[in-house]
Amino acid sequence: MKKTIREMRPVYVVGIGLHKYQYMSETTFVTLGLTAVREALADAGIGFRDIESAYTGTALLGMAVSRPILRHLGASGIPMAQVENASASGSTAFRQACIDVASGISDIALAIGVDKPAPLAPAASKANIRDLVGARVVPFTHFALLANEYMNRYGLKPEQVAAVAVKNNRNGAKNPYAQRQKAVTLEEVMAGPPISGSLTRLQCCPVGEGAAAVVVASEEGIARLGIDRKRAIKVLASVTRTEHVYRGAKNFDAELTRETTAQAYEEAGVGPKALDLIELHDAFTIEELLYVEAMGLCAEGEGAAMIASGAVDIGGKCALSASGGLLAMGHPIGPTGAGQICEITRQLRGEAGARQQPNARTGLAHMVGIGAVCVVHILQKS
Amino acid sequence: MPDEVLAQPALYTANAAPRLKAGRCTKCGYVFFPPQTYGCESCGALPDQLEAVELAGSGKLHSFATVHHHQDRSGKGLQAPFTVGLIVLDEGPAIRSLLLERTDEGLRIGDRMHSVLAPAGTDDAGKQIVELRFTKTEAAR
Repeated sequence: MKKTIREMRPVYVVGIGLHKYQYMSETTFVTLGLTAVREALADAGIGFRDIESAYTGTALLGMAVSRPILRHLGASGIPMAQVENASASGSTAFRQACIDVASGISDIALAIGVDKPAPLAPAASKANIRDLVGARVVPFTHFALLANEYMNRYGLKPEQVAAVAVKNNRNGAKNPYAQRQKAVTLEEVMAGPPISGSLTRLQCCPVGEGAAAVVVASEEGIARLGIDRKRAIKVLASVTRTEHVYRGAKNFDAELTRETTAQAYEEAGVGPKALDLIELHDAFTIEELLYVEAMGLCAEGEGAAMIASGAVDIGGKCALSASGGLLAMGHPIGPTGAGQICEITRQLRGEAGARQQPNARTGLAHMVGIGAVCVVHILQKS
Repeated sequence: MPDEVLAQPALYTANAAPRLKAGRCTKCGYVFFPPQTYGCESCGALPDQLEAVELAGSGKLHSFATVHHHQDRSGKGLQAPFTVGLIVLDEGPAIRSLLLERTDEGLRIGDRMHSVLAPAGTDDAGKQIVELRFTKTEAAR
């Protein structure tokens, strides 16, 4: 019979580390990755020799990314592989590490995300299936179309969608790992420059470079290595799904999020009311509204009112994108999903400093990627 | 129109009201655009169960966005601003197309739309290239 992560051995996040997300620089991917991994190992209080398997989430660096980074920690001969799943690469690397530990293949596993910007085209562009618009519709226009339809359906103004960027940049200003660390006003967001439809530059995430690393462990691994149990955060659910055929103009991004999140709630045995924080795929402001509704945090069309009410600010009922999200922390592709796990872990431990969500116990991480794929994890303080 | 060449002859016909070249699964009835012959996305039917069908280029505007930021590496292609529409065709599929309207002025969600061929530069032999765009169907038509 098939099993969920929760029905196998319990899995805990025991170490987190990041290299700051930033605009492309001379820094090599090796330095980016090593910075994050060394921080995660130090956080867990273990050495690289204790890691039994490793997965690297990356989409743009090319073949065989793991070993050129990890050999500098002392080549130990452990199994390593790269995980490419578009924007959800880091989320999927984390899931693979969780599966290794849950299944009993490893007691201690490492998930990394690392990337640097590169002009690498998705495989689908080589399928010889051309549409009418080609490169004239890039992601920001895909989401500008969704914003147009959403605002029309619910009678909203562009400012009500843009308010998401104000909240997330306010959070990002308190995150030393964020690419954008500056609070902005609604006037600044609206002032542009315009990108597509109602979306302005600050309503689109910056894509730069960075790295994130997460160490996961079984109870046996925690006991054997003397890892601090009080700082270990349990993985309640790990779910990933892909798009099926949605008829007509149905918004597949929201539908896929709805299906994947519903399955994660069922596996975790918690619902949206139990969530104290959510890190979601807010690559564009409109996405945060679409996804919180699809996740059942509020009714359809109520997302903008919920943002305006303060209920999803840090200190509110459920903090949305406390890290700054993709809009402020940034979206370096491979690292992003793993970085969400770092933020949720830090918050659930109560170690998030100036951006701490009070009494946070349960958090959800959500990424979507072109294809389309969706990955959702639910974490909880033990 | 002998001196005009279609930008994407695999996707539409050369009529003044161009028809879209789509695909249909003979097993489950799924109609899809753009066309492909790899297998049915809805039911998995094999390539020989997929047939070519033409769709009338008419439908309703579902959403639109004027693109202000666009990088054309050649520098010879389309320059911003231009407007993209998501159109639900009368036969069911939703497709994205450039609109004849350069900006969103006067456009409303729910507008009736139809296909036209619009000039899009010249080819190496100096012939006029035309490409499919949608435009608002005026009530008087």
